[in-house]
Amino acid sequence: MLELTKVSVKRGKTPTLRDVSLRLPAGQTLAVVGESGAGKSTLIATILGLLKPTSGTVAWCGAAVRACRPALVMQEPRAAFNPALSLRRSVMEPLRRGPAEGRLERLCAGLDLSAEILDRRPGEVSIGQAQRVGILRALIAAPPLVLFDEPLSALDAVTQKQTARLISDLQREEGFAALIVTHDLGYAVAHGDEIAVLKAGRIEEIASPRAFALAPQSDYGRQLRDAAIALGSLEAAA
Amino acid sequence: MRSVVMLAVVMVTVAGIGPLFAPYDPTAINIPNRLSPPSSEFPLGTDALGRDILSRILHGARWSLGLAFVVSLISLVIGTAIGLLAALGGGLTDWVTMRTTDSFLAFPELVAAIVIAGLTGGGTWSLIFALAVTGWMRYARVARGIGLSLKTRGYVIQAQLAGMSGLAIARWHYLPSLLPSLTVVWTGMFARAILGISALGFLGFGVQPPNPEWGSMLLDARVHIRSTPLQMIWPGLAVVISVLAINLAGDALRDALAEERDGP
Amino acid sequence: MIAALAGLLLRAVVVLFGTALLTFALLWNSPGDPAQAIAMARFDALLTDDVIDQVRVEAGLDRTFWVAFLDWLGPLLRLDFGHSSVTGRPVWPDLSNAMGYTFPLALAALVIGIGVSLPLAYLATRRPGGWLDRASVAVATLGTAIPAYWLGLLLILIFAVHLAWLPAMGARTPAHGILPAVTLGLGVAASLTRIIRSGILEARARPFLPALRRRGVGSAAIGRDHVAPHAAVPVLTVLGLELAFLLEGLVLVEAIFGRPGLGSFLVTAIMARDFPHVQAVVVLTALIFVTVNLVIDVAYRILDPRIGGRDA
Repeated sequence: MLELTKVSVKRGKTPTLRDVSLRLPAGQTLAVVGESGAGKSTLIATILGLLKPTSGTVAWCGAAVRACRPALVMQEPRAAFNPALSLRRSVMEPLRRGPAEGRLERLCAGLDLSAEILDRRPGEVSIGQAQRVGILRALIAAPPLVLFDEPLSALDAVTQKQTARLISDLQREEGFAALIVTHDLGYAVAHGDEIAVLKAGRIEEIASPRAFALAPQSDYGRQLRDAAIALGSLEAAA
Repeated sequence: MRSVVMLAVVMVTVAGIGPLFAPYDPTAINIPNRLSPPSSEFPLGTDALGRDILSRILHGARWSLGLAFVVSLISLVIGTAIGLLAALGGGLTDWVTMRTTDSFLAFPELVAAIVIAGLTGGGTWSLIFALAVTGWMRYARVARGIGLSLKTRGYVIQAQLAGMSGLAIARWHYLPSLLPSLTVVWTGMFARAILGISALGFLGFGVQPPNPEWGSMLLDARVHIRSTPLQMIWPGLAVVISVLAINLAGDALRDALAEERDGP
Repeated sequence: MIAALAGLLLRAVVVLFGTALLTFALLWNSPGDPAQAIAMARFDALLTDDVIDQVRVEAGLDRTFWVAFLDWLGPLLRLDFGHSSVTGRPVWPDLSNAMGYTFPLALAALVIGIGVSLPLAYLATRRPGGWLDRASVAVATLGTAIPAYWLGLLLILIFAVHLAWLPAMGARTPAHGILPAVTLGLGVAASLTRIIRSGILEARARPFLPALRRRGVGSAAIGRDHVAPHAAVPVLTVLGLELAFLLEGLVLVEAIFGRPGLGSFLVTAIMARDFPHVQAVVVLTALIFVTVNLVIDVAYRILDPRIGGRDA
């Protein structure tokens, strides 16, 4: 279980996270929703130990998060790969030895990736393909925790739907805990076991997707929901 | 890139096989023939001890170009390591490292090299030490700048998360991006090292006699400027041609890289 | 602005202290016994161990490193450079005497350098790519590859030996300064020409200039108000570098022309292992260097407030 207790982060003088407490049980999905600037990237960096919290604790099953070798799927799929290396090299990075028998093939099949694509460089594949290879790299070493930083926002609408389904199918098979950071409320409600609303570095509310879609508890949550309904990304009667 | 490779080949060839074409032993003293003008026997004449100047110039390439090559590579390694340390260490490490770099830059490099070489006793080793210690700062600055920009790149973060060792990350993710810019800096420093070595030789703090080094040859020739002025032309010309070739290759490389970055 | 200035100043002080410490450490750890070298310089053949030990105590070479460093640093802050360990005379009069030879030479070289490069760069950029432009770039490129000591020797060969127009060695008359100043000045001009030229070209290529021209702003006004300030920023950078070139060149040029001055002072001091003299020159050089760079940094901020310093 991922557990954040009263985590605050200051960058310079202004705090970017204030007293954030979150719990993500193993195998579950927590969707963190917020606008750009709400502190989503800081949250991810802090969970991964790339930023030290000014106060509070971050832990996976009571130990440092990095010890469980968490994986990250990034917003910009191409930037997540060294442009000079083949995708295959980058995908293999998390592995000490070669991949377990058949795992690469199984994941590739699940992600609708042909083996040939892995021999290309990041600049030679489409963004959608690059993002699926990004997910492949994240899962190759079977991590118990995977963080998704706006995994869909660089993709076009069709690819978004397809990738979102791939992620949840793989999660069912692999059983990892997923923390998905997104500004897309429709995606969060459709795929999260729980929804956390982040605003200006603070958690406004945490609720089940159903409860949230029906009746957000915070003013900001209500604004977000109404805007999403108006835009058609969330169905009014969810 | 091709120009630099070509240059390296030419320089290594000159320094490597040049001495093979030397008609005489560059240190063989022949007093009866001293200070003879160019002739078919001695194409560039002889110096005050009757040594053949052409042979000394050709052998001198090994000292002047070879030492400059070694010195500029040593400072490349030192500077890159220090620059990356600053970039990746961050915080206090960065501050201390960069202020140290500033301290070293807050002094004319050649003057520092003269002081260091002079005080460490002169000779080849103290020359290498002096020029390497005063020549790493530009590499450090460039390496730090690139290191800082790479540090937050997606693929570097991914490599960290994947648990790659620092050395492996440096080798696979930093080096390829550092190499082009460092090569440009290196051509400039190579040229500077040639000038530095001959300047120290000229002041008597560099390669010691009887070894043929272009700067110390100039020092020898200077005394005879009235009687055999041609003697001081050759070593100087050798320095100018080498430095010019390296500078031109460096300019070409820089332009090629700029074009690659900005697109054709 | 005040905070930025204080930061620059603090940095300059840290750098100066670092230089002083590095120099001292280097001298302290240099191989060979300085006491013996000094004793040799002073008494020549009459060397016994007693004499050497006496010299060691006199020159303060028997102290520990930090004691010696602080003993040197304290008076230094009051600009007291101590006494020569070879002659026993105070350092300052000899040092300022040397500066009296060096500063006019440096100034003359700078004037020649700017006097040659500025018109040359201006003429070259009137028709970029024209023959004059290409010729001046070629000459400047060649110029940066010619070491000062060789150029000096060539000038002696032509103007002192062959034509016998000018004196070569020593510093007795102002005429003795002409060849050294020209040697240094041409070196300065070579690198300055390239940089001023590209500075002007870059400033001219700025996108807002055609708009100004269309609005009817005269070309003289454009040059003065828009091109010159932008060309000045890289020139400032290079002046800092030129200073280094100048100081390095001075050591060599003074050696070639047998001029007394800071460079000769330094070379003599190194040969004689006269630590107080070496330290004095090094600290003075660092002081000049840091001060000039501080002034340049401040000028940067005034010329272009967006820049937070050269390496920010």
